[in-house]
Amino acid sequence: MRTFGRACRGKGKVYVSLVRDTEKQVLCVGSKVVSLALSVQMHLQSDASLHPEQKGDLEDKLKEAIETHQAIEKQSRRLVNGKSLPHCKIVNAYDVTIAPIKKGKSNCATQFGKKPGIIAEMGSGFIFGLHLPQGNPDDASYVMPLIDKVDAAIDRLTWTYPRRRPSIRSLAGDLGMNDPKVREKLHNKGITTVGIPNTIEPIPKVPTPSMIQAILNTPILNENQNATQIKIAYACGYSRTFVESLINSLICRGATHIKYKGHRGAMIQIGMAIIAANATTLVRIKQDRLSKRAQKCRRWFRLKPLNYNENNDPNE
Amino acid sequence: MGKLRQLRHWLTGQGRRIDVCEFVPQTHPLRLWADVLPWSEFVGATHRSFSRRFPKQHSGGQAPIEIRVLLGLELLKAETNCSDEEICHRLRTDFGVMYACGIKEVQVDGCQDHFVLPEVLCRFRGRIDEALMNEFVAIQSAVAIDEGLVSPKHLVVDTFPSEQGSQRVTDATTLYKAKKNSLKSQNRSQID
Repeated sequence: MRTFGRACRGKGKVYVSLVRDTEKQVLCVGSKVVSLALSVQMHLQSDASLHPEQKGDLEDKLKEAIETHQAIEKQSRRLVNGKSLPHCKIVNAYDVTIAPIKKGKSNCATQFGKKPGIIAEMGSGFIFGLHLPQGNPDDASYVMPLIDKVDAAIDRLTWTYPRRRPSIRSLAGDLGMNDPKVREKLHNKGITTVGIPNTIEPIPKVPTPSMIQAILNTPILNENQNATQIKIAYACGYSRTFVESLINSLICRGATHIKYKGHRGAMIQIGMAIIAANATTLVRIKQDRLSKRAQKCRRWFRLKPLNYNENNDPNE
Repeated sequence: MGKLRQLRHWLTGQGRRIDVCEFVPQTHPLRLWADVLPWSEFVGATHRSFSRRFPKQHSGGQAPIEIRVLLGLELLKAETNCSDEEICHRLRTDFGVMYACGIKEVQVDGCQDHFVLPEVLCRFRGRIDEALMNEFVAIQSAVAIDEGLVSPKHLVVDTFPSEQGSQRVTDATTLYKAKKNSLKSQNRSQID
């Protein structure tokens, strides 16, 4: 039995002998699978009776089988850091998905598994897209694929003149998203990045005139932005409390404990949880059961008629 | 005719039919939840994806269970956070679940066994791929924007950890739980 890990993240235990025993069996089966998969691949290329789509599907599965063995082989050469598992819990010790996420929180035990990224509306918390990368890349790499997901949803709209198609005005995120290259790409798309902090200091809710002017002077951006939108963007800056509420709604739908197998399984489980959570959000919007903050945001986004009894100034 | 055949377990009964829409109250949470989802678009996207990736080899045999029912079960499973067995079992008796799965009428009497087997639901899930899942989310987002319920103007991006593992009950689990239960009962008897 081996114990490892930083003290601040809690020390985990791994039964090395058990892992090694499993490894021998898995590698033995895997070596046969690889040779068989390669020979089937050759037969598949010469078979003309199969439909091209079907052939592609089978080739993908064979490729996956080969890659799985390669991943197990790679991991068998180095025992990954691990944590002790609770009783009745079974995982594949050589699954890449149980590799630790060596980033993020320093005040809790090491996080394991996958790290899906979500993009949501700041008002109601409706989730527009999900990105689930292979492995655990840095957080900044999630931004552009998620923006593409929102663009794909906007492209589905069949709006014609005089109805103007919506566009993304601003994006908020935590310090992990702070990457100059990502900021540049977002600016090229006309999206302000005032919601992504540069330092650990919190983003001011109300910008000063000089801050607004600095953003308006940013090349490319000034064509798509105006002072009001920038004020709203500041007011919609990153809020951990808001994000936690989104994550909680996904947790209670089982999105953080993946029971299906592999990357595709994780994608299905998280995707279904997101659709179910979004449906609940839409029910709340239709019934007007939203928080004061969400109601205020929706007025700024012009999703709700102005309430003349209240002050609608975004600076408040 | 296809639907009749798949519902034969229920429709062979002698009782009158129940209109599910009338039976489920307008304010039922599952009814409200199901009414906001763009089912026709979801079913269309699934049908297109499946027919492209899994072309039908034979035309005979029993009619398949409708995609709408299976998709409804899959989403309900996430919403209610229950297992395949539990949700398939609820479909037999729970009118809210029937409504969410798009079943319009049911027979009062008749055998209700094995309406949708968990294995069938599992096989359906096995056919869903990443592209289709992304399409579902895009469809739902587009419909919500179109209806003016949400706006993509100001967004937030974040990540969250998601642990992968299985909670299947195995012999080891059963043995462990049996030992635990016997210990508990021993302790109770000693206290008594």
